[in-house]
Amino acid sequence: MVRPQRGRSGPLINKIVATFDDAVADIADGATVHFGGFASPFNSPSYLVAAVARQGATDLTAISTSMGRGLASADQQSRWLPPELRPRDFFDIGLLAELGRIRKGITSFAVGARHDWVYPFEERLAAGEAEVEVLGQGSLAERIRAARAGIAAFYTPVGPGTDVARGKEVRDFDGVPHVLETALKADFALVRAYKADRYGNLIFRGARTFNETMAGAAAVTIAEVDEVVDLGELRPEQIHTPGVYVQRVVVRPSQPVTSWGTAL
Amino acid sequence: MSEPERLHPTVMAMIVTRDFRDGDVVNLGVGLPLECANVLPPDREILLHSELGILGFGPVITDHTQADPYVMMVGNLPVTANPGMVFTSHDESFALIRGGHLDVTVLGGLQVDQECNLANTQFEGKPAGNLGGAPDLAYGAKRTIVLMHHTTNDGQFKVVERCTLPLTAPRCVSRIVTDVGVMDIEGGAVVLKETAPGWDPERIQGITGARLVIADDVHEVTL
Repeated sequence: MVRPQRGRSGPLINKIVATFDDAVADIADGATVHFGGFASPFNSPSYLVAAVARQGATDLTAISTSMGRGLASADQQSRWLPPELRPRDFFDIGLLAELGRIRKGITSFAVGARHDWVYPFEERLAAGEAEVEVLGQGSLAERIRAARAGIAAFYTPVGPGTDVARGKEVRDFDGVPHVLETALKADFALVRAYKADRYGNLIFRGARTFNETMAGAAAVTIAEVDEVVDLGELRPEQIHTPGVYVQRVVVRPSQPVTSWGTAL
Repeated sequence: MSEPERLHPTVMAMIVTRDFRDGDVVNLGVGLPLECANVLPPDREILLHSELGILGFGPVITDHTQADPYVMMVGNLPVTANPGMVFTSHDESFALIRGGHLDVTVLGGLQVDQECNLANTQFEGKPAGNLGGAPDLAYGAKRTIVLMHHTTNDGQFKVVERCTLPLTAPRCVSRIVTDVGVMDIEGGAVVLKETAPGWDPERIQGITGARLVIADDVHEVTL
């Protein structure tokens, strides 16, 4: 009779993936993807975006607070630094728009904030090659949080009386009109964190932006981190995102890799 | 006849911040409203909030060698890490905003009308808009102040009878501070309260799309 083995040769739970290319290999054409961060090289999942670009998945529905600036002007997001000190390994979702991979954007910032700032996604929109749903950032964030929390829909007082409420149910609570917004669940969530352990527990550095919001709001959450530490090193009261929300962890290179085409 | 000098952005910001109280939680939009961060009364404890999930920061840092790239407000501007500062996620940040925990929001504007409606997110000629955090901020803050130039670069009116651009948020604006004066919106009318030096009410009316009601105690701007 065969008895179950008690001893184990390796850890049961290990979410660390060796390469960015492995981490995103199964993102299919037509997938819906959360892109975390807030338009900064210091909080964006740059290497995951680059890996998706190399992988080639297309027809994506991209959920992201901003549709990005693209390769040519991504460094404008660190204008506070002299040009020579700006991170050269910042790949925002504008890269995917530039490559024609995004069919639809669900976002708060769809276009350049000035007449003379025109970014790749805006060009695709103007050419009729992409569509967009623009939401206020609070409703965008809450729709994602709802997906993580298993809430199908919620009423928010933000939106009635504006274009955002068009075609949606509006209902009064205490005399105040509220609009019904539905959860935004994705196939994948790509987020950036500071440290992780092999359980996928995450801590963030600085404002946690959409990274914490999106982790867990998808079937597969992939975290790009600066450092992986031993299990137990992150104190329980310190952990921002429990590892159950995270399926894969991949660590950033120690030296910047400045071309998105480089296998990593 | 050339027009009188308009108020400098620093002065416009000081008009807004002079009314802040200790403990006020204040969100500043990018652009002109950001000037407020640099002219806060130093003897007051104002908690500045920014949508990406930061509360309780200090002035914008201009010397990059002093900046921490992880302490940023919207627009990717490095700010001072004050004691007591807090980081949150985006969803928590907007729970704070929507839930009524914000005292004041200072927003930029493309158009404001006499019904307190605000349009500040979509330029003409663009295929879509940038709503950003403004709809939630304008709804959630106890007080919404719009800080903007009184007219566009090419002289179009921005204080109007009825917004023609897509609305960011309806019925939300309590005060408009521009480079020529201070107006409150009261009972469906734009009430002129303070005027920039050299700008009399008639001249301000001349560059305003809505009919101004002149407050009984209208006076020159004081700081």
